[in-house]
Amino acid sequence: MKPTHSNAHWWLGVADLLAHGVQHGAVKLQRIHLSVADESFRVLEAIPATRHSSRIVRVCHHEISRLSYTGLSLAGRAAAGLAARAAAGHARKHDLNVNNS
Amino acid sequence: MVSVPSAGRVQQHISAIASGFLGDWLEHRGNALAVPMTVFADGEPLDLLNPRPAAPGSVLCLSIHGLMELESVWDFPGQPGEHYGTRLAERLGNASALKLRFNSGRPIYRNGQDLAALLERLVSNWPVPVTRLVLLGHSMGGLLIRSACHYGAENDDSWVRLNPDCVYIGSPHDGSWLAVGAHKAAGWLNRVPRDYLKVVGEVIDLRSEGIRNLSRGEVFEPGTAHQPLLAGARHYVISGLLVRGEEHLVNALFGDALVHEASARGARQPGWQLTGTANFPGVDHIRLAHHSAVARQLEEWLV
Repeated sequence: MKPTHSNAHWWLGVADLLAHGVQHGAVKLQRIHLSVADESFRVLEAIPATRHSSRIVRVCHHEISRLSYTGLSLAGRAAAGLAARAAAGHARKHDLNVNNS
Repeated sequence: MVSVPSAGRVQQHISAIASGFLGDWLEHRGNALAVPMTVFADGEPLDLLNPRPAAPGSVLCLSIHGLMELESVWDFPGQPGEHYGTRLAERLGNASALKLRFNSGRPIYRNGQDLAALLERLVSNWPVPVTRLVLLGHSMGGLLIRSACHYGAENDDSWVRLNPDCVYIGSPHDGSWLAVGAHKAAGWLNRVPRDYLKVVGEVIDLRSEGIRNLSRGEVFEPGTAHQPLLAGARHYVISGLLVRGEEHLVNALFGDALVHEASARGARQPGWQLTGTANFPGVDHIRLAHHSAVARQLEEWLV
């Protein structure tokens, strides 16, 4: 049976889970955002008067959105990496203490 | 008086829920939210290599919770520490009531293999010779018992020779309608040519191996042929229904809210010989784990 983890280790686990949630959630949100927006842009493209301008707005909108969500996802990835490293370090320290006691 | 759960208790519940949803992933990452398999006696974890409970009995009564649950699911409302196991131990005499906590998101067969090994260590190291073993499983816990019995018999474990009493309480032997429904919904949404609906399908599909096994009632390693119930052991089934009228449409659609009566009885499992079955109309899935009528039935069967 594994030893019981400390409170700090538990919170690092929560941080790891949340950071992964942000990393992958941002990618999924981006897909939802862009595909919902595409529904509106398709309507605007079907109207000759708005076709040209909607294409420009669509490109700008999609690029800004991609940049924002990618930034958020990368931040989540970095946070997950930090949490995992901190948890591993904490576990090593915990194991050393158990072995020395 | 309203009892307020402690911060530690809240953390344990969060761990149990996270483990149920993503237990295999959490375990793979070494995340501290993954619940380790632990046996409790009187609310204290036992060291399996040297178990020292307050009053060890020669009859062991182990209660095993279900998906995303903790061992506290067994406690009667307003009576912490009082559960089917303690009632049975009281009536049987010379018995110890134990509870298991485990990571319910892991594949059921892996939890079953670990449970078989755990029972072997527990019975071998118990301070007094064990003469009888009673295993109570709620929901997924019942599937774990079947799995552990198979792997215990395969390893020729000594606890299997005690011919345990196995009680399956609201266990979806043929799968759970909700888990099957979620699987079908996810499949349908993933086929729709709209990315936002696909994402919803992917989120529904984001679930642990334990939940996937539960949806199909799978308890053995993939590729294993169908296995019968453990020979020599006594097998009891308890099922619940949402509404008191047995023939009510709600019961036909939802069973005890999560499991249909037929699935709880293993109606599609070939060659099952059950020692006893009981159905409790008006008792839902969660209340099956701590209901006075079920307690009386268990005493009638096992004492």
